[in-house]
Amino acid sequence: MTIDEENIVLDRLIICSKCHTLHHKVHIAKGKSAKCENCKKVLYHYDERILDSGLALGITGIILFVISNMFPLVQVEFLGHEQYVSITSMIFSLFENGFYVVGITVAFLIFIFPLMILIIYVALSWMMMTGQGRDTTKELLILLSKLLPWSMIEIYVVSILVALVKLIGYMQVHFGLSFWALVLFMILDIYLSKNVHIGELWELRNRIYCDKGR
Amino acid sequence: MIREDRIIDESKLLRCTVCEAVNLDKGDDIYCHRCNSRIFRNPKLSTSRAWAFLITAFILYIPANIYPILFSEKLGSRDANTIIGGIIVLWEDGSYPIAMIILVASVLVPILKFIVLIYLLIKSKTKRYKKNKINQHKLHYMTEIIGPWSMVDVFVVAILTGLVHMTTVRVIAGPGATAFVLMVLFTMFAALSIDVRLFEERDKNGSS
Ligand SMILES: [Zn+2]
Ligand SMILES: [Zn+2]
Repeated sequence: MTIDEENIVLDRLIICSKCHTLHHKVHIAKGKSAKCENCKKVLYHYDERILDSGLALGITGIILFVISNMFPLVQVEFLGHEQYVSITSMIFSLFENGFYVVGITVAFLIFIFPLMILIIYVALSWMMMTGQGRDTTKELLILLSKLLPWSMIEIYVVSILVALVKLIGYMQVHFGLSFWALVLFMILDIYLSKNVHIGELWELRNRIYCDKGR
Repeated sequence: MIREDRIIDESKLLRCTVCEAVNLDKGDDIYCHRCNSRIFRNPKLSTSRAWAFLITAFILYIPANIYPILFSEKLGSRDANTIIGGIIVLWEDGSYPIAMIILVASVLVPILKFIVLIYLLIKSKTKRYKKNKINQHKLHYMTEIIGPWSMVDVFVVAILTGLVHMTTVRVIAGPGATAFVLMVLFTMFAALSIDVRLFEERDKNGSS
C-alpha cells in the first residue's frame, strides 16, 4: 500500500476528540451531524454553507468586537461620582498599578486572541471561497487550532456579572452598550466553536486546493 | 476500493491534535499527513515537561492563596482580601451563589485539575494490564474544558481595578493575582503537553 492509498484509508476514519473512540465516517444528510456512539459528542456535520457562514459570522463578530471596545462596558455611581470601565481601560489600569503579568495575560485572552480568531475565520473563508492562498490557508488553520483554547470571552462575560454582584449594594450599576455587544459576541463565538469544526475545514481545504492540482 | 480493515492496525491510530486527522503510528517521529505537524515527539520528554509545568503551577498555587488577590480602600482604611478571604466575605454578605461560583472556579477547579493531571501522568507510566473504568481521554478532555474557568477571579479583580478607583473607594489588584494567573497558565500548559498517546488504549467498539 502506498502512502497515498494509506492516507485515503486514514481519511475515512475519525477519532472522537472527547473519548478517542475510533469511527468510520459515514455519509450523512445535509444539515445533519454525526455523533460519537460512545459519548455523543458531535464528530462532524454536513454543512454546505460552512464558508458562507464562516465569513458572515466572522465579519459580524469583528463588528461586535469593535463596538464592545468603543463604549463603556459598565458604569457605576457612588456618592455622586460616576465611573466606567471598558476592556482597554481595564487593561491600562492594570498596567498603571504595575500588574504587567496580569495585564498582558488578560489582554491576550480577551482581546488579542479572540480578535485574531475572528480575522482568521474571515480570511480563511474568503480564501477558500475564491480558491487562492493554498499555503496560507494551511498556516492559518494550524494557527487557529492553537489559538482556540486560549480565547476566554465567555468566561470574561461571567466575570463581569460576578464583579457587579460584588458591587451591588454599595453602588448603582448600569450596563453600557458594549456589554450587550460583548454578550452577542460571546453567543456568536460559542456558535462558531460548536459548528465550525477544524477537521471539516481541513477536509474542505484539501478538496478545494489539492484536487485542483491533480 | 481499498479494504481498510485488513491493512490498518486500529490500535496504532492517532488523532492529530492540530487538524484532527487520523494518523498511523509508525514510531517516534511522525508528521501528520494532513497538516504536517509533528504529532509525537518523545513520550518521556512530554511527560517530564508536563510534570515541570504542573510542579511550577503547584508552587505558584501557594502564593496565589497566601497573598491578597485584591486590596480595597474605603475612606482611608485598607482591606486585603485573599481568595479564600474573599469567598468568606461574600458568604457572610449573603451572596451565596457568587461565593459558590468563586469557590468552584478558583479553589475546586485548580485542585481538581492538579489531582486529575497527576493521576493521568502516573497512570500513563504504569502498564495497562487491566481495563480501566475511567476513560482517561474523557478525563483529559474535561480538564481542558473546565481549566480556563479558574480565570474568573482574575478577571473579576481586573474589572474591579479598572472600575473602582474613586477618591473615596478604590480597588487594586494584589500580588496574589499575578501568582494566580501564572498558576492557571501553567496548569493549562501542563494539560496541553500531556501526550494522549500514553493513555489507555481506545475502545474498539466504534464503527459509527
Ligand atoms: Zn466520543
Ligand atoms: Zn494534523
